[in-house]
Amino acid sequence: MAIAARYHDGFVADSRAVGLEYASFVDTAALVILDAENGTEITRWDATDLYSVHGRKDELRLAANGQTDGARVVVRGQQNVARVLATLPLLTKKRREETGRQVRIAATATLALASVIGAYLIGVPLLASRLVWLVPPAWEESLGDTVGTQMEAALGLTDGMQICDPDPYSLANRAITRFGNAAMEGSGSPFTLDISVVKSDIPNAFALPGGRVYFFSALLDLAETQDEFAGVLAHEVGHVAHRHGMEQLISTAGTGALIGFILGDLTGISVAAGLGATIIDARFSRDAERQADAFAAQVANRMDFHPAGLAELIARVGEDDDFARAMALLSTHPLTSDRRIALEKLGQMRPTGLEPPFTTAEWTAIKAMCGPAGAP
Amino acid sequence: MVWGVAEERAEPVVFTGTRRELGGTLVRGYGFMLPTIGLYRFWLTSWKRRFYWSNTEIGGDCLEYTGNAVQLLLGFLMAVAIFLPIYVVFFYLSTLSSDAAVIGYGGVAILIWFMMGYAIYRARDFRLSRTLWRGIRLDQAGSAWGYALRRFGWSLAMIATLGLIYPLMAANLWRYRYSNSWFGDRQFSFVGHWRQLAGPYYLSYVLVAVIGGTGVAMSSFVGTTITNLSGIVPTLAAAVPVGLIVLFYQSRELTRMFSAVRLGQAALTVRVSMFGLLGPYIRFGFAVIGAYVVLAIGGFVVLNALAGDAFAGGTFSLAIFMQHMQGSFTTLAAIIFGYLLLLGAFTMMSELFLGLGYWKLIASNASVSGLDSLTDVRARAEDKALAGEGLADALNVGSY
Repeated sequence: MAIAARYHDGFVADSRAVGLEYASFVDTAALVILDAENGTEITRWDATDLYSVHGRKDELRLAANGQTDGARVVVRGQQNVARVLATLPLLTKKRREETGRQVRIAATATLALASVIGAYLIGVPLLASRLVWLVPPAWEESLGDTVGTQMEAALGLTDGMQICDPDPYSLANRAITRFGNAAMEGSGSPFTLDISVVKSDIPNAFALPGGRVYFFSALLDLAETQDEFAGVLAHEVGHVAHRHGMEQLISTAGTGALIGFILGDLTGISVAAGLGATIIDARFSRDAERQADAFAAQVANRMDFHPAGLAELIARVGEDDDFARAMALLSTHPLTSDRRIALEKLGQMRPTGLEPPFTTAEWTAIKAMCGPAGAP
Repeated sequence: MVWGVAEERAEPVVFTGTRRELGGTLVRGYGFMLPTIGLYRFWLTSWKRRFYWSNTEIGGDCLEYTGNAVQLLLGFLMAVAIFLPIYVVFFYLSTLSSDAAVIGYGGVAILIWFMMGYAIYRARDFRLSRTLWRGIRLDQAGSAWGYALRRFGWSLAMIATLGLIYPLMAANLWRYRYSNSWFGDRQFSFVGHWRQLAGPYYLSYVLVAVIGGTGVAMSSFVGTTITNLSGIVPTLAAAVPVGLIVLFYQSRELTRMFSAVRLGQAALTVRVSMFGLLGPYIRFGFAVIGAYVVLAIGGFVVLNALAGDAFAGGTFSLAIFMQHMQGSFTTLAAIIFGYLLLLGAFTMMSELFLGLGYWKLIASNASVSGLDSLTDVRARAEDKALAGEGLADALNVGSY
């Protein structure tokens, strides 16, 4: 008995009720499509040409090579579909082959994407540290100005940073400038350092692209010894010498593009993209912190201060807690305890008989730059 | 032929898909998304479209979606090629002085707004040209750049007229889309007019202005500070009627514009009401709340099993909990997995209740008259020029 189906010939938008029969000879087999009303043969499709396309549940849509693109035989109902599939096992085989093809394409594409990501993770920081030397120093300096203005706005300083001691030739400022220049010596940096101690309640210090370094008064108040102050300052000079600000900018742009590519969201607004970018950027800036620490340790080989003082001061600002340890992958700073160990090690082989970075009078003047300390 | 000689008889459109079936497709798709670093989304999109198309039955015959994932993947790669230069410009702008950066960002935003029009049109072209009904392919002619220009020009006029020109814009864009659509060798036409939209639109416009304005004015009268949030109440109270008015207008636009679509002697009729449109949103809201309650209970059970003593005595101890997390990697993996679960639950509910709800609403309230007149439509040559709808994917404009 013929199986009921619908038939579209792909030439005109018609839908005919048909009956399907299976005709097999010695070496060929065909699907015969008969008119449902009078039983005359409309056409026959060679069994080897047949393939199925996606239809809804309990519906089988057949097409055939050599027919028009839109030619279809549509079989409906679980029983009818099962009968056709049992008669034409080739259909199931072709469907499986097609699934295999799709799996291979997806797997290849995934591998390609994974290797792009891998190349990126290794390549972007490497590339960023090379590319940064192609950036003209003048551009980086003007960028530093922009970042400085944005930073002041973000800190709510409408009339700019309030510099503690505006006289560049004061004892304290001359000592700081001398220290900075001595630290920079031999680094081959195209920038002139501009170190300012500014009034702020936030215990922090940072370097901008282009050679500007800010040291906040709250951090200076917390510094108990020369070693601590000189350590942090040398660390920030290290950021300038390595051009980390610019490097980070290039790297962030690179990771942003990558994450956007993975998630198909090139405008980069989704939270997931942000999270992924944070992990990559955090890893990158932890490397930068280590480099700056190593730079500070090198400076300590030329002047008599202990680089571990840097870690002491940071430890005083904020102790690592369990949460910080858990979030270490996301944090832009290495754990203070790890840094202290690394710095202690770097500080072990220092030569003896070096000059201290500041004289006692200079250190007293620096401590007094921003007036009497707010904290005891 | 089953539907006899009466030309005027309208055949209802039937949708046969179930939420359960789509849910299964989505769960499987999200599962494959992880090992393929998100690339499976192109396959998932194809499966979703096959579900929607193949379950939509017009005159007893289903639509068929003939597109595939590789086409979408290729289109996406092309979009990346277009976007990388824009991205470089973005990066360069972010390093400039504030004023230049703001002007630059503005320029890029305008460019993207313009490109969205192009993307919308191309995506529609892609979907139509991969839609088959009764063995005949649909297609879209017209120029995507032309559409983008029109849409852009209209949006400038919208700003200049404070939105008063909207009915003209809507009718014009509907007309451009439909009068450039084809079924085989027969061209669609559009008989809608902006005057059909003017009544409901201006009524809604005035109501929204009055109610919304009153709410905001009362809020500012009460005054809102961090400590006193009661000032927000009038604004929130105004948001509900404003939302209903927007839905009311949408229901009028959909009804009147869809019902103005013609294909030769065949005519489409769609009737949707405000409450019809509201239903999916309400169901979606309950579904999201339900899904999150289930996730929260599940998460609590899992955490309790893993780190029971952190919850001992009815209080939560972060220190003990962190000891259990054994280093940053486990914690991070747990956070990412939890985030993906929350995100997955949300997108799944929005697809199941908003996406499917909207499609079902339109399909089950649509009917087509004069289907018999279509039996002599002939096929046209295959349009193979379109590779994917990458730009639309990248700009997030292609929904189905």
